[in-house]
Amino acid sequence: MNEAVFYFIAGCVCVFSVLAVTQRDIFHCALWLAMTLLSVSGIYFYLDAPFLGVVQILVYVGGIITLFVFAIKLTAKIGYKGIRQTSKQWALALFIATLLLCILFRAFSTHPWARIVSNVEPTSIAQLGRSLMINYAVPFEFMSVILLAALVGAIVIGKDKR
Amino acid sequence: MIPLGYFTFLSAFLFCVGVYGALTRRNVIGILISIELILNATNINLVAFNKYLGTKDGLGEVFSLFVIAIAAAASVVGLVLIIAIYRNARTLFTDGLTLMKE
Repeated sequence: MNEAVFYFIAGCVCVFSVLAVTQRDIFHCALWLAMTLLSVSGIYFYLDAPFLGVVQILVYVGGIITLFVFAIKLTAKIGYKGIRQTSKQWALALFIATLLLCILFRAFSTHPWARIVSNVEPTSIAQLGRSLMINYAVPFEFMSVILLAALVGAIVIGKDKR
Repeated sequence: MIPLGYFTFLSAFLFCVGVYGALTRRNVIGILISIELILNATNINLVAFNKYLGTKDGLGEVFSLFVIAIAAAASVVGLVLIIAIYRNARTLFTDGLTLMKE
């Protein structure tokens, strides 16, 4: 039963991600990306990380997908059906990606930790909050500076100069 | 119980799909979508290793939170850049963006 849930979520992730990079219409791609991110949040819930799952849904599906949809709609004229969306070297890219996948699979399947089964306590949300605010407070503060810089940069770049 | 290797397989698959998308897409927004997939692949790895090998203070989950925040900042700046490029060049296809060459 537990395994079946994992296989279902993993299948969803695989199918939706392939659809997100192969669909013609870029708007459909953004919607398939939203489905992929929802399935990945399912993986987080499965891995006993409910806080991360919720953050994934809030930040990605709630925030980033909205931004993508806005950007696609603001530049809608290039989304015509007739224009090809993939470059001419797609066969070479497919070969490179498949080769990379084969190398990674081979490396993972020969390594001894690939068969490890978990026997440790999952991180509680209280522990996560403590380590975020105490052990890793400096990176956390740097993160807020980066977010502020991104905010200011977005406003400056996006401002219409005319 | 699912062994740890399955999560790395899933993450490797998601990563390679993202690489394929980033290499083939002509539309810049499509490339950004592929980059989001790659960042999610790394996040799956971090959370899975945190669960299976165990860290005292949940380091894997903390870093996944950082990755999510960086991804949000990156996609905000990226999409604003895309809108600025579209305003100037009237195209978003990578082979049409030759502003730096001219």
